[in-house]
Amino acid sequence: MYKTIMLSKDMVAASAKPLLLSLLAGGESYGYEIIQQVRELSGGQIEWSDGMLYPVLHRLERDGLVESEWKESDIGRERKYYCLSSAGRKALKTEQQQWLTVHNTLGKLWKIKPITI
Amino acid sequence: MADRSQHAGQIMENQTHYDLNAAIENWLAELAAQPNLTSDDRRELETHLRDAIAGFQQRGLNDEESFWLACKRVGQPPELGEEFVKSDPTNDWRERVFWMANALLFVNLWSSLIGAFSLKYARGNLSHPWQLKYYLFISMSYCVLILCCVVFLASSRLRHRTKVLSFIFQSRARFILVGLLLVLAVNFLRASATVGGALVTQVFFLGLIIYSPWSLSLIGLIAWLMPVQNRKTPRRS
Repeated sequence: MYKTIMLSKDMVAASAKPLLLSLLAGGESYGYEIIQQVRELSGGQIEWSDGMLYPVLHRLERDGLVESEWKESDIGRERKYYCLSSAGRKALKTEQQQWLTVHNTLGKLWKIKPITI
Repeated sequence: MADRSQHAGQIMENQTHYDLNAAIENWLAELAAQPNLTSDDRRELETHLRDAIAGFQQRGLNDEESFWLACKRVGQPPELGEEFVKSDPTNDWRERVFWMANALLFVNLWSSLIGAFSLKYARGNLSHPWQLKYYLFISMSYCVLILCCVVFLASSRLRHRTKVLSFIFQSRARFILVGLLLVLAVNFLRASATVGGALVTQVFFLGLIIYSPWSLSLIGLIAWLMPVQNRKTPRRS
């Protein structure tokens, strides 16, 4: 039997921005797909709700880090697609450095090999 | 065993056909009743709900189950409205200005009231020593006001608001009514404190014209900024 560790609310909130920026760096996407991707990537340990995702996405858009556009999807349904702006790419780099700093600091204490990019 | 499964099959057949589109329409109507969501937000949430329903249908669930699970995933319209409003930065300012306007109105009414009372006792007695008492009384009254605020906040009563306050702020109409009555009452007190007898009505109306635009516009501003909860929401089927 395996035990799943659900992320705490604070961790979900803090990791939302880097996760979204990283996901969108791989290409445009829409809300439903983003939630599915996060669930899959995290092995079901990060469960985002819509109520949480869209406000964050809209805030990133207001801050100019992502751009959005209504487009017709392949099955004919209109969806709002989000993609990374150039400011978003820069923000992603900063986020990466900050998260790796935290990770590597903890890693030293936990005796885990440091990660660099 | 065979009997039972046959019986279950009959029940399934007898059930009225589940109208998925009607259910979605109902959900959308409830979403439309949320004051904080723009039409773009609603459209986005609708496509999300439809995607989620399609996802569950693909896994072999029926319409009703898919709709129910998708709703649970996406969230109830009132919760969504709350989450969205939290993320809107203009809302912070709305709230700040709302409290600021409340404080201004309160101080305005308070100072008029104290002015009226002190005038009443000073009438015909505005000699030098009384004037000093008059100003001391007014300044003391503001200290009392601030002290009341401190006591109110320190006793953490704000967390579970007092009943009177929540009663007044429950609806716009109620707040406007209470505000208007207060303005009228304070004005009347001031008029009757300044003059006596037949002149009171004249001074009262004069006071209304001179002093009330400020209070009335504050009442209007507060009523406009008031967070109104639970507007009419269509009944869920």
